[in-house]
Amino acid sequence: MSQPLNVVIVGGGTAGWMAAAALSAALAPQHRRVRLIESAEIGTVGVGEATLPHLRMFNRRIGIDERDLMAKTQATFKLGIEFVDWARIGDSYIHPFGAYGSRMAGVPFHQYWLRQRKHGHAAPLEAYSLPIVAARHGKFVLPADDPAALLSSFGYAFQFDASLYAAYLRDFAERRGVVRTEGKVVDVKLRGTDGWIESIKLADGSVIAGDLFIDCSGFRGLLIEQALHTGYEEWTHWLPCDRAVAVPSRNVGPLTPYTRATAREAGWQWRIPLQHRTGNGYVYSSHFISDDAAAQKLLSRLDGEVLGTPRFLSFVAGRRRKTWNKNCVAVGLAGGFLEPLESTSIYLIQIAITTLIDYLAATSGFDARIVDAYNRWIDMEYDRVRDFLILHYHANQREDSPLWNHCRTMELPDTLAHRLELFRHRGRVITYKDGLFLEASWLAVYFGQRVMPTGYDSLADAMGAAELDRRTRTMREQIEQTVAHMPTHDRFLSTYCPANSEAAHA
Amino acid sequence: MNAAVRSVAIVGGGTTAWLCATALKRAFLHRGLDVLVLDLGRSADDPLGRWTLPSLRSIHTLLGIKEGDLIRRTGATFRLGTEHRSWQGDASRFVQMHGELGIEINGAPFEKYLALRTLSGRPEDIEDYSLAAVAARTGKFARPTESQNALTSSFTYGLHLDDSAYCEYLREYAQRLGVRRVNSQLHDVLLKDGNVNALVLPNGERIHADYFLDCSGQQALVMNRVGGSDRQDWSAWLRNDRMVSTRAFAIDDPPAVTRTDATDIGWLWRIPLAHSSVAGYIYSSEFCNDNEAIRQLRQYAPCISEPMVCHLRQSRRTRPWTRNCIAIGSSAVELEPLVGADLHIVQLGIATLIELFPLDTHAAVEATEYNRIIGEHADALRDFTVAHYRTGAGRSADYWRAMQTEPLPPSLADKLDLYRANGHIVLRDHETFETADWAWLLLGRHCLPDALGLHVRAKLTDAAVSHLTKLRIAIEQLAGSMPRHMDYVRQQR
Repeated sequence: MSQPLNVVIVGGGTAGWMAAAALSAALAPQHRRVRLIESAEIGTVGVGEATLPHLRMFNRRIGIDERDLMAKTQATFKLGIEFVDWARIGDSYIHPFGAYGSRMAGVPFHQYWLRQRKHGHAAPLEAYSLPIVAARHGKFVLPADDPAALLSSFGYAFQFDASLYAAYLRDFAERRGVVRTEGKVVDVKLRGTDGWIESIKLADGSVIAGDLFIDCSGFRGLLIEQALHTGYEEWTHWLPCDRAVAVPSRNVGPLTPYTRATAREAGWQWRIPLQHRTGNGYVYSSHFISDDAAAQKLLSRLDGEVLGTPRFLSFVAGRRRKTWNKNCVAVGLAGGFLEPLESTSIYLIQIAITTLIDYLAATSGFDARIVDAYNRWIDMEYDRVRDFLILHYHANQREDSPLWNHCRTMELPDTLAHRLELFRHRGRVITYKDGLFLEASWLAVYFGQRVMPTGYDSLADAMGAAELDRRTRTMREQIEQTVAHMPTHDRFLSTYCPANSEAAHA
Repeated sequence: MNAAVRSVAIVGGGTTAWLCATALKRAFLHRGLDVLVLDLGRSADDPLGRWTLPSLRSIHTLLGIKEGDLIRRTGATFRLGTEHRSWQGDASRFVQMHGELGIEINGAPFEKYLALRTLSGRPEDIEDYSLAAVAARTGKFARPTESQNALTSSFTYGLHLDDSAYCEYLREYAQRLGVRRVNSQLHDVLLKDGNVNALVLPNGERIHADYFLDCSGQQALVMNRVGGSDRQDWSAWLRNDRMVSTRAFAIDDPPAVTRTDATDIGWLWRIPLAHSSVAGYIYSSEFCNDNEAIRQLRQYAPCISEPMVCHLRQSRRTRPWTRNCIAIGSSAVELEPLVGADLHIVQLGIATLIELFPLDTHAAVEATEYNRIIGEHADALRDFTVAHYRTGAGRSADYWRAMQTEPLPPSLADKLDLYRANGHIVLRDHETFETADWAWLLLGRHCLPDALGLHVRAKLTDAAVSHLTKLRIAIEQLAGSMPRHMDYVRQQR
């Protein structure tokens, strides 16, 4: 191998800086040269971001100290997402980062729960989830290492300020040799022979050549779409929301160790508590509400005093036909858009970057076999998230507004239709090896959205009723007792990773 | 509302039928499920001997079968893996062990280190870094144990089984659990609205049940009536269509390995049992007649029974669960036994059926899911088998050249393409063999990637490999301290 891989990242923001940080940490300095072009003129989407537990693996992999990161990004802990008013107005459920109960005799816990429910004496499913009970009580501690301990039965993620996160990663990446160039891309030059990207030209006239271009330019896809015309697969018939309006507000009351997503007349509203403020937004379908009305609704539904003016975003749910095309890899919104209902945005960035790093084998002339395999993998990740999101919209019993009527009656992707049918029939969750959302996530959303199986697995009948009642009662009691001894989220934050004033002004 | 399932009738008399009967009866003892086996006796394609994957042990554990007792009473022996000879030329050999390979280096899997060493012209012997391989090579065996030393649990094992003895063992066990047995032939299958309504015996007696398991082997006596000839043909990739096997004299002091020897028309195999051995030949009738194959088999092993030839049609059903009939075993999947997965397929079938056991007599959604899962598993086992013929160098005879012509199944082509490009193995949802198994196969056959991932190279460039010498020595010492394989077998209680 003679020359290092010359990587040009177009666009700062979360995607760009995650890519820069990971590439500079994972590849040996003699194998890569990483340059990031960003323009201060073009704002980043960065609002309050909620993440998934997987981000912790990313941090570990590239060597980020989690406590330091949290302190510098105004971060709070997240045990799950509360969904309010989704199946019916007045409903609330939490999608937790952790399983419900424990398997007994090789049979999933929820099958026993379905059995008890059928006989009319099941406790609420929530009572079997440590992270849900902790979230409902505003409690938090770090999970234990001992896999036998109840306190190891959950995971956690962060809620942080995305622009502070990007700044944090920028510092990390620059210390590892990433070169940042301020500038706006005005032209993209393609190679005559094969249409690969040869170089980009900045407003100041400078030309930057590269082997691999990572497009982190956001929705518009400056390289992947505007230059390479890769094409986009639209999913708006399943996920009709195409706008969002975001605004921060002042914190009121204790910081919740979870994100909230409240279903609204034409979409849903997010609420993400950070140490210094709360991020809010309304994701909606422009078909069902106007921008002005959406902003009005959002402003009238904040818990605290509004900070700043509402900002609008528009998007189209879907995915680029190839997120790796020629010598360009699209990461983040340039690669595809799935609304942040399940906090998957950063996960999808992470998976694009780590898969790229896992697959890169040469410093130039990318092997078509690698590109094809990469695209298959990323497509699978997007498709699985997509199906999970559609479930939230489809399984509703709301008849108060046209959006919900539309979603309840729309045709589903075959993959999801089969999943739903199997669950409705006997509570079986189709699981898979790779990609997001394990059994507990599907269970949380199925049950939360009032998808109730008519039958259950007959293996769950093997245990005697008294024995089952005793064991399930013990599980609930242990969870209650464990949560009672946990500190509050606020208290834990104040000792673990209080934000310092320096970070707040970064 | 449809009626609850109260009864299952199983057709077939071999190991497949009795393994299914035992597992089903045991799983649903609490609800008094009636399980009946229409015992047709052993079928023509039941082998004399089998080699199994480690997974079979988990079903033994679930069923409460004590392995020591099973081994003592059926004359079984242990297997740490398979030794393949002459697959890439007369003097060639490679091994496929069960278990880990080496240790992680700076977070990079050991097989990447081995690949890198070979790519940079300093190859190492893969077997030196596996306790299982060294034990196998030196004729030693002991079960893995959890201890301070990670090496003692670094491997796992399967069994060599005398099929009729194993079948009898399961049958006794099943009958003790309350499985009913009817010894008879099958005269006819009565259908009603597309479902199986009853099995008709030669004496006119009828057997009714809610569900029927077809474990009758290749003949698929029941399924052929319900599902017709629903076959995905694999013979373009796997051309062997004959199996012949024979009992042979015991091997003197045999290692705990299955042995195969490739020839110009297929491959021979031999497995050790406690008091005898079984040998066989899997070949293509297009390239050799049966008499010649039998002659070669007699040369290969000292036969003590008349070699029996049976046919093989490598393929699988698309819908092994159709209506109220489920085909399990070779009635659903026919695959040459190279990778030792024939009972594994049975086990997957019955375990998946138990998990999806129908709530009532109408189970369309369960059937769809069952067929999806079993189909993916079967295709993955096919791919792993095909890879034995299509990676690295091969032999040069006509038979071997003919095996190379068909484009690979897309799932295997995708997997090997990425592997060749950067050494990365992608596993799909329902695959039996894992990354380490693929590494044994591909590195063993000298099928190397063109390059390795940049991040792996970053981890391995400054890898301190001096402790690898220590690892090799520790493996040798540990293998040295194990008993001889057959001494260990004789100690089983």
